[in-house]
Amino acid sequence: METIKLTRARAHAGLAAMLLGSVAWSGGALAQTVSTTSPNAVTTSTTTTNAATTDAVTANAAARGQNNNSGGASSRSGATDPGVRGGDPGAGGALPGLNDVERQYFDVAKEVFQEVDAGPDGLGPRFNLDSCSGCHSQPTIGGTSPATNPQVAVATLMGAKNVVPPFVTANGPIREARFVRNRDGSPDGGVHGMCVIRGRSDAVGCNIAQPNFAAELARNNVVFRIPTPVFGLGLVENVSDGTLEASLAANAQQKRGLGISGRFNRNGNDGTIARFGWKAQNKSLLLFSGEAYNVEMGITNELFQNERESDPACQFKVTPNDSTPLVSEETASPSASFQSDIDLFAAFMRFSAPPTPASATATPVAQTAPADQTTGTATATTGAATATTGAASGTTTTGAATATSTLMASASADASSVLPAAAGSSSAQSSSAASSGASVTRGGQVFSNVGCQACHTKTLTTEKSPLTGQSNVTIQPFSDFAVHEMGTGLADGVSQGSANGNEFRTAPLWGVGQRIFFLHDGRTKDLYEAIQQHASRGSEANTVINNYNLLSRDDKQSLLVFLRSL
Amino acid sequence: MRTWIYLGVAACLAGLGAVRYGAVPSSYDAAAWQSANPEDGKVADGVFVSDYFDLSYRLPEGWTEGLAGPGPTQFGYYVLGTWAPKHDFVGTVLVVAQDMFFAPESSEAKNVVAEFRQAMSAVDGMTIDSEPAQVSVGGHLGYRIDFSGVGLFRSMIAIEIRCHVLTFNLTSQDPEFLASLVRSLDNLASVRKKTSDSVPECLRDYATSENVVHRVEPDDVGAKAVSIPVRMVVATDGSVKHVHVIRASAAQRRNIEEALRQWKFKSYVRQGRPVEVETGMTFNFKPANM
Repeated sequence: METIKLTRARAHAGLAAMLLGSVAWSGGALAQTVSTTSPNAVTTSTTTTNAATTDAVTANAAARGQNNNSGGASSRSGATDPGVRGGDPGAGGALPGLNDVERQYFDVAKEVFQEVDAGPDGLGPRFNLDSCSGCHSQPTIGGTSPATNPQVAVATLMGAKNVVPPFVTANGPIREARFVRNRDGSPDGGVHGMCVIRGRSDAVGCNIAQPNFAAELARNNVVFRIPTPVFGLGLVENVSDGTLEASLAANAQQKRGLGISGRFNRNGNDGTIARFGWKAQNKSLLLFSGEAYNVEMGITNELFQNERESDPACQFKVTPNDSTPLVSEETASPSASFQSDIDLFAAFMRFSAPPTPASATATPVAQTAPADQTTGTATATTGAATATTGAASGTTTTGAATATSTLMASASADASSVLPAAAGSSSAQSSSAASSGASVTRGGQVFSNVGCQACHTKTLTTEKSPLTGQSNVTIQPFSDFAVHEMGTGLADGVSQGSANGNEFRTAPLWGVGQRIFFLHDGRTKDLYEAIQQHASRGSEANTVINNYNLLSRDDKQSLLVFLRSL
Repeated sequence: MRTWIYLGVAACLAGLGAVRYGAVPSSYDAAAWQSANPEDGKVADGVFVSDYFDLSYRLPEGWTEGLAGPGPTQFGYYVLGTWAPKHDFVGTVLVVAQDMFFAPESSEAKNVVAEFRQAMSAVDGMTIDSEPAQVSVGGHLGYRIDFSGVGLFRSMIAIEIRCHVLTFNLTSQDPEFLASLVRSLDNLASVRKKTSDSVPECLRDYATSENVVHRVEPDDVGAKAVSIPVRMVVATDGSVKHVHVIRASAAQRRNIEEALRQWKFKSYVRQGRPVEVETGMTFNFKPANM
């Protein structure tokens, strides 16, 4: 019996895509129009690096007084982000209940999602990274920006001579850069790839130059996006417009009491609700895939057929670079063998299971170090522990203290307000776990009471699905998938579809406990800081943040613990 | 059920001490209110003044404007102001308004509070401390509900003024401070000097073919798949006296204003006399391919 290869027998050795959820297209049949409405660009100071937890992006905004929360002053009062939840990622696998055929299809799609592209595959000539999974990898394949930024290494891969711009650092988030305006002042808003293929051994003869990031930074014209996690997105795709509209309307009176409204970013072609990407600018996962393949990796496809950089000396594959195979590629899934890359990228997202939260009463969960205020290094366990052990209540810490990637509950300032610690430690953990469970429960109440759930809507229900066992599934994405005015502090000045430069989609919070970088530009690793950044002039979230800042220290902390349990 | 009656008494807070306020200075511009829009209110010298709503409120001593809220929405929802202490962050006041013409749900203060009560009672950990009850705040009849959860005590008071439901959302860590904050709302006062300055009649769905005798369509411009709410005041002779495009791009705003100023309505007659009318309508720009 012939053994069927899992990975497709492709002419190009490896393929992938990086789905930062982006692009500036105008007049395309599928993509929505992008324009720039306000020059609220943020820039990155070269004197500040990503070593800071809240990086230069925020520093720049603060310097402009955008986050001057007068009359609603933030008081940390000892509340501390417990840090990235460790242990089993609880994500990255297939949806439960799929049949064998569907499971095989998912497995092949996941392999393709991890393939690395090169010149012969059509990579570039401008790109941000060379694989989907390179960007979508935290806490596992399909996630978001990892602790170590692969953009630094890819900049000089295969002889390339790219200069890494200051907004991309080894321990910072993966970032795509957008220019707010063109040189003539007209709206830009599009992605400008960090790298070019010039100098690579697989791109001989190509001599295009990198964008002049220094000049654009100097004129405050650069904004950033980080990758969005793609877990469970097939379920989101399968929520009807009617369900989303009903959900948005269901708590309308509560929202009004908080200064919140929200609206959907509707597709310009058929008027239905777009729901993927930082501004909900993408209607479907297939569109999301096709756009990212071209914009982030420079690989044209059957949705986005034309090269963004048309220099013939830099083209090393026919256009579109990716197309539907007419001859079987003999994968482990007969269904997948006739699929293009973008079809399989979309399939990976569509068939992937949503993140699994840490149960308030379930098996203890390991934690990595809390976000460090001075180094911003998620792995700085020692520093984090030092910062938080002062008020430890003498709880035994044996066991987990020796693990470099875990942190005992007792290492927190308040053992009752951190997640259960790693398995294998002392008996004190049982009481710690119980109290942590209580803190998660309390944090859930805080989440609802202060008004977070007005936008970060907990549950939605899918409609009938062609996939086995996926009909009428209740999911917990913690998002209304609407766009909201988020104020001058977060504004990027880029309009996409009907979302303006101040509006962003409510970021789904499922899996947030295992993310490292927060907000659309990855400006902070600190969940507390991410909450505070929701408040600025013109933001719908101002009252909710005021409510949070009125809470006791314990309740502030319990919200952070709850969020890290997701 | 308790009924909270506030008869608009002046601030006599001796002994309470938590919130103090004084008389509102008179800065009324007779012409301003006629062309004012709901979002035009502002705080000056410690006093919030809204010409459109004919409303003033002296902020508690030591309080100031918080961060401004977002602009008006496509449903005619406004964040009029957020007020908070300059120091010692112990509470906040959020004032919002919902245009009755564009409200997707109830457009009466009583129903707004009742629906709000339903929403709050469904929130895990939230307690309804006082059921909705009729109140009078600064001379305005309205409805109030008190609720609390996770250490925050809150009151929401809804009143109806000029085609809108205004809600005052007050929050504090301290129930006594909240009570004094609520009492401070009795400081709400009128900014108009002459009561003879008539306010237009609020009429929902008045801009129909039945009442419009001359209509010019605005040029379709800008983003597709958007609804643009417009509020207008129709003069006694049927001409359009004031146009307020609530949320739109600059180009859409310009086109709609230009078109509406050419509209002509039938005169609206009440008790034998023509009166001004305030109404709203929505321009829907659909996707080109639909």
